[in-house]
Parts: sequence; C-alpha cells; structure tokens
Amino acid sequence: MTKLIQTIVDGLGVGSTYALLALGISLIFGVMHLVNFAHGELITVGAYTSYFFFLHGGSWWWMPLAIIGSAVLASVATELIAFRWVRNSSPFTLLLTSFALERLSHAFWQIAVSPKQRAFPKPEWVFNQFKIASVSFEVMDVVTIAVTALTLALTAVIFKRTLFGISVRGAAEDFDAARLMGVRANRVISGAFAFAGFLAGVAATLILMRSPAAEPSMGSDWLLKAVIAAVIGGLGSFSGAVVGGLVLGLLETLTRAYLPEVAVGWDKFSTAIVFVLIAVFFVVRPDGIFKISHAERV
Amino acid sequence: MLEVDAITTRYGAITALHDASLEVRSGELVALVGPNGAGKTTLLNTVAGLLRPATGSVRFDGNDITGSEPARLVRAGLALVPEHRRIFKDLTVEENLRLGGSTASTADRRVRLDEAAELFPVLRSKWTTSAGFLSGGEAQQLAVARALMSNPRLLLLDEPTLGLAPTMVDVVFDLLQRLREQGRTLLVVEQNATRVLGIADRGYLLRTGRVIATGTGVELAADTSLFDSFIGGEA
Amino acid sequence: MGGFSVGLVRFTRSTLASAALVAIVAALAMAYTSGGGASRESLIAEMLSNFILVLGMQVFIGNTGVLSFGHMAFAQIAAYATAVVGIPLAAKAKALPDIPFGLESIHYGPLGATLFAVLVTVIIGGLFGIAVSRASGLAPTMITLAALFVVEQLVKNWKELTRGAGGLSGIPRLEGNGWLWAGAFLALVIAHFFQETRIGRFAIATREDELAAPALGIRLFSSRWAAWTVSMGLIALGGSLRAQSLGSVNPKQFTLDSGILILVMLVVGGMRSISGAVLGTVLITAGNELFRQLGDPQRLDIERFPDLFLGGTMLLVMLMRPGGLLGDRDLAGWLRRRMYRRPLPSGETPQHGVNTLTATDIEVRFGGFVALDGAGLTVRPGEVVGLIGPNGAGKTTLFNVITGIVHEQGGRVTLGEQDLSESKPVDIARAGLARTFQNLRLFKNLSVRENVALTALVAARHRPHRVRPDADTLLDDAGLSEWADRQAGTLDYGNQRRLELARAAALAPDFLLLDEPTSGMSDQESLAMVESVRSVAARVGAGVLVIDHDLGFITRISDHIVVLNEGRILAEGTPAEVRSNPLVAAAYLGSSA
Repeated sequence: MTKLIQTIVDGLGVGSTYALLALGISLIFGVMHLVNFAHGELITVGAYTSYFFFLHGGSWWWMPLAIIGSAVLASVATELIAFRWVRNSSPFTLLLTSFALERLSHAFWQIAVSPKQRAFPKPEWVFNQFKIASVSFEVMDVVTIAVTALTLALTAVIFKRTLFGISVRGAAEDFDAARLMGVRANRVISGAFAFAGFLAGVAATLILMRSPAAEPSMGSDWLLKAVIAAVIGGLGSFSGAVVGGLVLGLLETLTRAYLPEVAVGWDKFSTAIVFVLIAVFFVVRPDGIFKISHAERV
Repeated sequence: MLEVDAITTRYGAITALHDASLEVRSGELVALVGPNGAGKTTLLNTVAGLLRPATGSVRFDGNDITGSEPARLVRAGLALVPEHRRIFKDLTVEENLRLGGSTASTADRRVRLDEAAELFPVLRSKWTTSAGFLSGGEAQQLAVARALMSNPRLLLLDEPTLGLAPTMVDVVFDLLQRLREQGRTLLVVEQNATRVLGIADRGYLLRTGRVIATGTGVELAADTSLFDSFIGGEA
Repeated sequence: MGGFSVGLVRFTRSTLASAALVAIVAALAMAYTSGGGASRESLIAEMLSNFILVLGMQVFIGNTGVLSFGHMAFAQIAAYATAVVGIPLAAKAKALPDIPFGLESIHYGPLGATLFAVLVTVIIGGLFGIAVSRASGLAPTMITLAALFVVEQLVKNWKELTRGAGGLSGIPRLEGNGWLWAGAFLALVIAHFFQETRIGRFAIATREDELAAPALGIRLFSSRWAAWTVSMGLIALGGSLRAQSLGSVNPKQFTLDSGILILVMLVVGGMRSISGAVLGTVLITAGNELFRQLGDPQRLDIERFPDLFLGGTMLLVMLMRPGGLLGDRDLAGWLRRRMYRRPLPSGETPQHGVNTLTATDIEVRFGGFVALDGAGLTVRPGEVVGLIGPNGAGKTTLFNVITGIVHEQGGRVTLGEQDLSESKPVDIARAGLARTFQNLRLFKNLSVRENVALTALVAARHRPHRVRPDADTLLDDAGLSEWADRQAGTLDYGNQRRLELARAAALAPDFLLLDEPTSGMSDQESLAMVESVRSVAARVGAGVLVIDHDLGFITRISDHIVVLNEGRILAEGTPAEVRSNPLVAAAYLGSSA
C-alpha cells in the first residue's frame, strides 16, 4: 500500500511536468496546426540561463523568474524568426521547420558554451523527506504537484475569463471568424507562443530544481514524451494535454514499479512496454482521448 | 457609405467575381440576390477583408479599404455575419459575444452585453451554454448579436436564413427591420429573393460573378423574368 | 503477354535511371578519392550506406506523404541481426554466451548475413507496419516514434542477445566499397521500380489526396503497407551493410539524431523524387564533411560545426523551398515521358450496365439538425438524372450518403442487387460508382495522364467485365490530349474540371456522380461541359447523377430532374415539367411573408 501511494505520487510528479509541456504543445497546435518539436529547447534555455546567473551569484529565490522570463522570450523569438514565415504551409513543412530549430538550438549551445554538461547548485530543501502515516514523501514531489496545480488553475482562469484567453480559443477553432471579430492574427499567435513559453518555463523550473544541470540536448527527451502525451490526450485539447501527461507519467512509474512482480526479469523493458501500449492505443484511437473534430469539407 | 468598384476576385484557378460594382448608401437596406455560385459570398468576403481582389477597389466612407485586415474594418465600423454563421462552438454564448466586442472598451462592452441580452432574450436564457448546443435559429441570433457587439454602422449579412425553419425566418426578417430602425446600414445576401426584395430599398442580381441587374426592391421583385435570370439562357 | 512486356519496359526504365544516377555519383566519388587517403574511402562508404538508408525512407515517406521518425529503429534491428549471425562462432560464444534462439551455432558470410538481416527486419517491420498503415492523421508518425523508444530499450537491456550498451564488434569487415556500390545500385532499382508498380502508383495517389483516392477505388491501407514493407527491406539493407562496413554495432549508431540526418538528406533534394534523394545525400554528406573540417581545431576551431550546418540547411530549405531542390523533377520521370508508347485502342462498343442505382428513404441527422428526411431517388442504366435544390437542401449530403462518406441513420442504397448502405467509399467505387468533388480533388502533382491512368488501373482489376477505354482515349474525349504530360495542377480551371470527369470515367463505372461540375464556370464553359459529360459518359456506357446550381446546364443535360428542398423530394420530372412547376420557383426564389 505504501509503495502504491509512493508510486502514484511519483507518477503524478513526473506526469505534472509532462502535462505542463504537453499543454504548451497543444496550445500552439491549436492556433497554428504545428507540432512544435522545438518546444523542448525552452527547457534548455532555462537551464543555461540558470547556469549563467549562478556563475554570477544567483539564488533560487528569484531564479524561477529568470527561467520563466527567458523561456517566454525564447518562445516568442522562435515565432518571429521562423514560424511566422511558414504559417500557411503544409503540416510537413511546419514540422520540419520546428525540427530544424531544435537542431540549431543544440548546435548553438554546443558551440556557445560546451557540449559537456554544466552543473549548478540545487535548492537545499529539494530532497528533504517527511512522513505522513508511514509513507515518506519528498518535498520536491509535493512542490511539483502543488505548483503544477496552481499553474493549471491560473491557465484555466486566463483562458476562461480574460479576453486574451477567449481570443486564443476562438482563433484555435476558427481563425478567420476570429479575424472577423477584430482579433489581430499576429497578436493571438505571439500571445499563444508567449503563454506556451510560460508553461515551459514553469516545467523547466521544476525539472532544474531536481537536476540542476545544463546540457545542449537535454530538451529532446522531455519533448518527445510531451508530444506523445499531447497526442494521446488529443491535440488541441487542453484537458487532453493534462490527462495525457498524467497518464503517461503514471504509466511509466507504475510499470517500472510493478512489472518485476508481474513478470520477472521484464522490468528492464518497462519503457518498451509503455511504448508498445502507446502504439496500440494510437491504432485504436488515432485522434487521441479528447478528439477535437474539425469536419473536413468535401 | 460603401462603394465597390469593379472588383475581380480569384480563388486559385477560378475567377469568382468579374468587374462587380455596387454601392450602399447610408441608412439603406440593400439586397444581393442570385443563384448559387454567383459570387455573392465572395463579394461580401472581399469587402470584409477576408479576400483580396485582383483588381478594383472598395471604399468605406470615402476611405480605400481594399484588402484591409478584417480587424481594421471592425474598428472602422464594418462587420460581417458570415455564411453558415461560424459561431465558436467551443465557447459559451457570453464568450462569443465578448469576443465580438473585443475591439470595444471594457465599459462599452459591458453596456452592449446588456443590450444584446435585451434584444435577444433567447440568448439570455442560454448565456453560459456552449454555443455548440444552440439550435439553428438561436445560432443565427447569436451570430448577429456577436457582430453587433462592435457597434457597426454597416452590417453585412451572408444568407442569414440558411437552414432555418419558417418561423425562425420570420424572426430574422423582423430583426433586419429592427436593425434598420436603429439606424444601421445593411447589405444582405439572401436566398429568399422575393422576401428580401420586399423589404429592401435597392437590390443587385448576381450571376456567374457578374452584376446583371439592379434597381429598387420593388422593381426587381416585380420582374417576372427573375427565375429565368436564375436559370440563365434559353432551354 | 502484354503485361509481361510492360513490366519489362518498366524494369528497364528503372535500371537505366538507376545506372545513370550511380554513374554520376561514381564519377564524383572517383574524383574525390583520387585525392588519396583511406579516410576518403571511408567517407564514400558512409555516403553509400546513407544512400541506401535515405532510399529506404524515400520509398515510404516520399510515396505516402506520411512522416516517419522510426525507420532508424529498424536499421538498428538489421544491424544487430547482421552482427549475431556474422560474428565468427568463437568470438560470438565469448561475447554472447547466453544467446537465445539457437543462434550460437549459426554463422553466415556477408551475403547470408545481409539476407538474414533483411528477412528478419522485413518480418518484424512488416508486422509493425500494419499498425502504422491502419492509423490516420498524426498517429502513424507517433507510432513510428514509439518504435524508436521500444527498440532502443530492447537493444540496451536484452543483454543476452545484444550485449547491451557495449555493443558488439568483430563482424568481418567488407573489403573495399564494392558491396556498398552494389547495394546502392540495387536500392535505386528497387526504389525506382516500386514507383512504377501498380501498388506504388496507388500509394502516390493516396499521398496526393487521401479522400479522392479511396473514392476512386484505391485502398489506403494496402498501398501504405506495401510502401512500408518495401522500405523496411531497403532500410535493412542499409543497416546491415553499414554494420559490415564498420565491423561493429552499438546502441548509439541509429538514434533519432541519425534519423534526422537522413531525413534532412531526403528533404533537401526533394522527397518525392529519387533523383532528389540522391542529390540531397551527396550535398549533405559533402557539406557535413566540409563543416567538420572547417570546425577542426587547426582551422576555425568550432566544435560540432556540422550540426549548425544541418539545422541551418533544413531551416533554409523549409523557409524557401519546402518541396526540396528538385521538387518533383526526377530522372526517372523524364525517362518515362521519353519512353511512352500509346496503347492500341480497343474498338469495342460499350454497353450500358444493367444495374439501377436506388436510394430509398434516406435519413441523416447531424446532432439536432435534420439534413435528410426520407429522401430518395432512382437512376436507371444509361440515364442522366439531375439533382437540384436551394442551398442547404441536402444535395451534397445525399451524394455523400450514396458514396459512403456519410452514414445514414435510416434508408438504403442499392446498386442492382448489391446493398451499398454499409459499404466504405473504396468498395462503393469498386462496385461501380465513381464521383467527382465540389472542391476539385485532383492529384495535383501528378501528370494529367497519370490521374486518369490510376483509375484505369483500378478498373482493370475490379471491373474486368466492363469495356475499359485507356487513359489516352478518355483524354481525347475530354479534350485534354495536348496536356497529357503536364502536371494536373497547372491546368486552367475548366480543364481541371474536365480532368476530374475523365478520371472518374476511367473507372468504367455504372454511374458517374458529379458534384457541381460547372461551379465557377461561365455560361460558355457550362455549355461546353454538357458536351464533355455526354461524350465521356457514352464512351464508358455510364449513367450520370449530377448536382449543380446552374439550372441551364442541368436542363440541357438531364433526362430526369429531382428537386430537393429541406431534406425532402419536392418535385421530379422532365426538365420542362420541373421548370414550369411553381413550387420549384418558390423554393428557389422564396415566397413573400
């Protein structure tokens, strides 16, 4: 029982990070029909920002602000430099453009800083533990879940209450109709990228508190999982991204924890099994859990 | 108020409008009729800035607005209620309206939301419902209400009675009259040619992208060869 | 007999094109290696195995338009398969003492190891391909991504078979690049030939338009799966030869990174064209090497300079020339046009089919909205029926029900004895109903002739009982012969509509279903369309069901007209009857309040 609770908390912790990243990906997909493979690079930007600031006397009290700020700026920059120019191209072109940016980002950090990992200090309290009824929790797990919950709540408020949020949702459903309402295309898209950058910044903060190191290709692994989570949930769906992220996180931790009991010697294949399950899921439900239907006119 | 001067608009390989011209004077209700595929929607979309004409110009209050971004036109006082309504089904009725009023100040928007609730009581009862659950008639009312949120002086309506039951058609026509009484200028594309010509000051008949007839509402409605114009040519 | 000689011509074309490409590259390679040095030889070796991998990806991605990230996973499988049967028994026993499947006693030379690897990969990949081909939208790409993760973990953790992270070495190395050149040539021939086969051409059609292809009888699943499986064979060849060229395998050889490198090579040249893939590989390999040397500590001293080159090149191509440097231009295509011979006309007189098309009591609801409320119609063999009605009356919905795109909540659709109510579009097309689309869905990048020839291919197998005119005859009928070799997308609008008509007719259907064929046309063009429809329909002995808003066109062409309004039949009869019916005029013009 203890183990189950701990595994679930672990899963929710990892899943929360996936959810934040997946939300950013679904958001951008909603307004541009682009699956942004460069999204993970925002984590890298946050990491190198921290490294730089810690070299010059930084502290974890205000570092989250720096990380989030740099992620937002970087996200808006990618839209201005690259995505704006391919806005109405085929999905293939959009995808490959985001890939190109990812590659360039890797190369940039390798050249500008170093191909090797650069570490910086972590907050002291991160791995502190405490017990509730014989179940031990890490402070970091609780912080992750709490921060994510807060961020998601903030996101919900912004997208339901503010005019900006409503404009983005409207534009995601019918871009031209939104233009007819007086919504300015460029602002909505830049705004979506900025908000996605904010979400990635929060995710990056949580990741970096746990493993404070900067490495040129660190964004890729997170990104792949985030994309899969977003697609599982249904691209373009907010609740889908959150559910997809949490499901993926739980699936990973549960298989890793319980597979040895079910099938001896198979635990080293837990990731493989998770992805076989995912592949099967996509055959059965190609549009994800929360399908966003856009009827195609014949 | 609105002058469309010999516009030609293309969609890929098709030329949807050939040298089409019309004008709408302040306070008028002008009808745009004609068979399907005549280019009526293309014309409204060109005026509203969704399409750019290859040649010709569009002027609003004397200012050249050819090819302007729709957002700019909304701020200038021109709004379009598009064909098939295109309400935001994922948003609630209130959110749809708020989005329609996105170019207004917060104070103005609040006032207009109240006005919308008064003018469209059926919408008030569904204020927080997802727009996807509205019936055809309710959706049409929402589409018009949404366009009114920007307080346009010129309102373009594209087939507002499409797919509506006869009682709802009546409601829409009443609405058009009321908008006139409010002092708004209207340019209406309508399938129901006879009826709309009955309330219009003037009308234009479009066929295969060209304006082939114009006159007062009474003149056009009395033209018995109207159906033949729809069909075109000799049998 | 005819089939064999056609096949021979196709094979010859493929071989010629491949030989030409290989010759060009070989000349470049010789010029390069004459500068001397073993490192140059190994660069050529790397380029050649890249070639084969690129072609492996081209066969799938280029022909189906579906992006795959996971191909490298299967190259990995092939590499390891090569290793476990290629390493000499003694060394193998030391490195992999617990190797399963009885592999401890199996040892093959280079040819055997390669064949074994290809076989294993095609089987595993083929099974996997079933999932990829069944899925739609973005799912296939996600599934291939999943494959990467799965294979990576299997390779790292199935230590008995793979020795884990350390990898395996001791594979007997190939002497010189002879095997690689042979492999490259073979891969080229296979890639070229696939594009000439029936199923390859079908795959290309699905890439062009996912909706129109099934509506003409082309099955999405089988053509995608065929492309996938052939690509597995080539990718396996590449993976196996690379392993034998390097002499070792390890988990880091075929990662997502290397997959992206190959993808860039494919995209830069133009993924639809094999010549483009070759060009891309040469350019990127050369560029990569150039930037590596520039980044050398002795020169500019920039580490990982090639990565900058790769990312930058891909970005530039996407921003400026997304179709790739060559786009659709292909040496093979050029040869195809030069070597084309028009088949002899058959001279048979077509008979009308005997089947009647009937739709009865069709009900369709979209949410709360009733689109069709008990509508129905009948089209007799050889008859032309016009379907008219005001906007929103339900005409296109009825069409979509008959052709299987929309499912009805009530009613039946029959063609002769066959009940088509539950059938899918691809089967309805094969049964004898060919349609055109309101929004024009041509295979834009393919030639005018190929658009029509594709459907003729379907008819050859699925409608053998009917008279089937060849593509050129139909193009003559539609007045399109002079543009036969042009890309369909470059035709002017009226001709594009006529092409869609000819393409549908090539199915030798019982009925042509035309959705607003004169939409956007002037009065003269509509008149000309009457003639085109009549002659094309007569050539194949098909009846016609046509929707249009141009009542002049409809009255000229129809034997019988059905008027739809608000989801129900309002009136029907001869054109004269319908025209003088006051109810019809009222429906169109509306009535006063």
